[in-house]
Amino acid sequence: MADAVRTQGLYKRFGQQTAVGGVDLVVPRGSFAGLVGPNGAGKTTTLSMVTGLLRPDGGRIEIDGHDVWADPVSVKAHIGVLPEGLRLFERLSGRELLMYGGRLRGIPMDEVGKRADELLKVMDLVEAQDKLVVDYSTGMRKKIGLAAALLHNPGVLFLDEPFEGVDPVSANTLTEVLRRYTASGSTVVFSSHAMDLVERLCDWVSVMNRGLVVAQGPLDDVRRGRTLNEAFLDLVGARGNGEEGLSWLGSPA
Amino acid sequence: MTWLFVRLKLSLVRGGLRGDAGKQAGFVFSLAAALLAAVAGFALLSLIRLAPSGVALDLVAAAFAMFAVGWIIVPLTAFGLDETLDPARLAVFPLTTRQLATGMLAASAAGAWPIASLAALFGGMVALAHGPGGVLLGVPAVVLQFAFCLTASRLVTTALSGVLRTRRGRDLLAVAAIFVVLLVQLPNLLVNRGLSGDPTRVLASVGDVLRWTPPGLAAHAIADGGLVGAAELIVVAMSVVVLGWLWIVALRHALVRPDASTRSGGSVRRPGRVSIGRFLPDGMLGAVVAKELKYAGREPRGRVNWIIALFVTVLITLSLHGQDGRAGLGSVLGPACMAAVMIGLQAANSFGIDGRSLWMNAVAFSTPRDMRTDLAGRHLAMAVIGVPMLALVSLFAALVAGDAVWALVAAPIAWGVLGVAMGVGALTSVTSPYTYPDRLNAFSGAAPGQGGQAFAISFATTLVTGVLMLPVVLPVLFGLTWWAVLAVPYGVAAAWAGRRIAAGVGFARLPEILAAISRPT
Repeated sequence: MADAVRTQGLYKRFGQQTAVGGVDLVVPRGSFAGLVGPNGAGKTTTLSMVTGLLRPDGGRIEIDGHDVWADPVSVKAHIGVLPEGLRLFERLSGRELLMYGGRLRGIPMDEVGKRADELLKVMDLVEAQDKLVVDYSTGMRKKIGLAAALLHNPGVLFLDEPFEGVDPVSANTLTEVLRRYTASGSTVVFSSHAMDLVERLCDWVSVMNRGLVVAQGPLDDVRRGRTLNEAFLDLVGARGNGEEGLSWLGSPA
Repeated sequence: MTWLFVRLKLSLVRGGLRGDAGKQAGFVFSLAAALLAAVAGFALLSLIRLAPSGVALDLVAAAFAMFAVGWIIVPLTAFGLDETLDPARLAVFPLTTRQLATGMLAASAAGAWPIASLAALFGGMVALAHGPGGVLLGVPAVVLQFAFCLTASRLVTTALSGVLRTRRGRDLLAVAAIFVVLLVQLPNLLVNRGLSGDPTRVLASVGDVLRWTPPGLAAHAIADGGLVGAAELIVVAMSVVVLGWLWIVALRHALVRPDASTRSGGSVRRPGRVSIGRFLPDGMLGAVVAKELKYAGREPRGRVNWIIALFVTVLITLSLHGQDGRAGLGSVLGPACMAAVMIGLQAANSFGIDGRSLWMNAVAFSTPRDMRTDLAGRHLAMAVIGVPMLALVSLFAALVAGDAVWALVAAPIAWGVLGVAMGVGALTSVTSPYTYPDRLNAFSGAAPGQGGQAFAISFATTLVTGVLMLPVVLPVLFGLTWWAVLAVPYGVAAAWAGRRIAAGVGFARLPEILAAISRPT
């Protein structure tokens, strides 16, 4: 059986800077996968290329065995995306946004309406469903973005920083929905800075640093008896331990 | 502390320029324009000296008042562009209100345009001062007038800063700003139509109204000189102090008031209103049409484009009629076709209005056919609003020209122009897309560095549309009026062909289109 996601030598540069320098990302089907790495490691660039939003300079990307760039028909109907920066159609209401996304993918209007109602209820957005997205808070935007990504029941879901800036209550809702989703055999790939969250949710971890995947595999293989945070700091090389300088900082004895 | 604010402003300007050649060029251009405006403003105001003294006095008073109004309006539309203007950003620093007030006043006086307007104001002194007494009072009068402009401008921005930080406030202001720009054209139109009567009498009545306002008092102080002038200056100074005090009160209030920007807006679903979605086809086409129609009403940038097209056309129609009594088919066809082009130009960068949210379409489109449906939906939505609007414009132009029957010729041709413009626009939308700025800006319709491209696209679309319409328009102009019937199928065919070619090109270029319309603004 093909992996849910497999890239080979994925490469992208912006001007002088190499953002992604030959990434071989692998995510087995049905896994809850975390993509971790420090800022600027290339996580967002990788996810953008994998989802067909950014053209790679080199390399291959396969989702469920289909090439993303050569065979978009087989791929695009089966993936859901929540990109970075929460770029949504700001002047639609939450419900209108879901209706638009669903009908764009050719789902009949009645079915979209039914799914949208259920998603809004699960995401606790029923009260805000008729307000414009431009007036939503960060947590609400993440939730409506996730709802839009789930609406067509994709086989693989890509989420860029889904928990950043989300309050604990909303985060709990998001994780519950995602857990149910992967339990049925679908795949989630999400990038995050929150190590404890990745440790709690994921069964598969890919660690990126400076445009490369430096470690990848089942969670226990990557952390090898340590906490994920310790393993991560070892892998990316901790930069400064915060002990030099700052002698004036703190209350006088 | 005051110097710190001035330096902060200067380093913000410097920081904004770092590393971006387009911005640097824009800055140099702005500096040159400010210098030119300073010299020209000074020269123009100085030249008023040649006018009879009563007229000169009224002219300078009117000019001073216009400066004050300009100072109030311009920063309002530019709010958010200049960090030193927003008191909320400074709220966490341990500053007294007085320090904050003097500092922000000094910061807003620093810059090319404030100094240019100070220089221009001195032209008013040259125009009015008689003898050393006039100069002696003229310098403080000009400085006080400048201080009046600054404090009035600060007071209004600060008092409105709470409103400006909400989404609804900015949306409203964006549309209101366009109305101000268009209303400026109204006197022009009135003069054109010869309704104003004697210009010197109008000026005199304006002068009477302005006599006791601070700008008028400042102008009179320069002309009067002596004790009367000094007394008038004291009144101006007092008004500056009162404005300054009001400003400090507003500032103190603004610093402790909760930020209203997170307060959420109301519901968009109104009970009892029939949704447009009910009349639209199911599936992707209907979804796109519904979204586009909602955007035309809810997005200020969309709304403004439609308002401008309508307003400008009405103005042109009226002034065409006013200039000479002669009216022909041309004076009906002209405005109608111009309205069609102005509406159609919105389709020349169809994806621009979506901006960064276009990814939602990009991840859903798996064949060029999807892209074609998307373009068709956008065109259909534009036609839903544009076709009745063009019919009204044609009827209006025909009635003004004196024969309603001409509308029957003008409307089909305008619809044809709209169709051709949409077809041409579909091609430019996929080959040369650009980013619309987040905020409305009177000077540029594109992100920094893309202004030239935006202009070139509009120009090329207009030109190509014009050339493509010649086979339909020329026979009509030569008297073959029934030929106009062909314009509609011609336009529909052109739009269809444009979409067909554009979909193939655009689908292959989706990531590039996405990148081009989501540049930082």
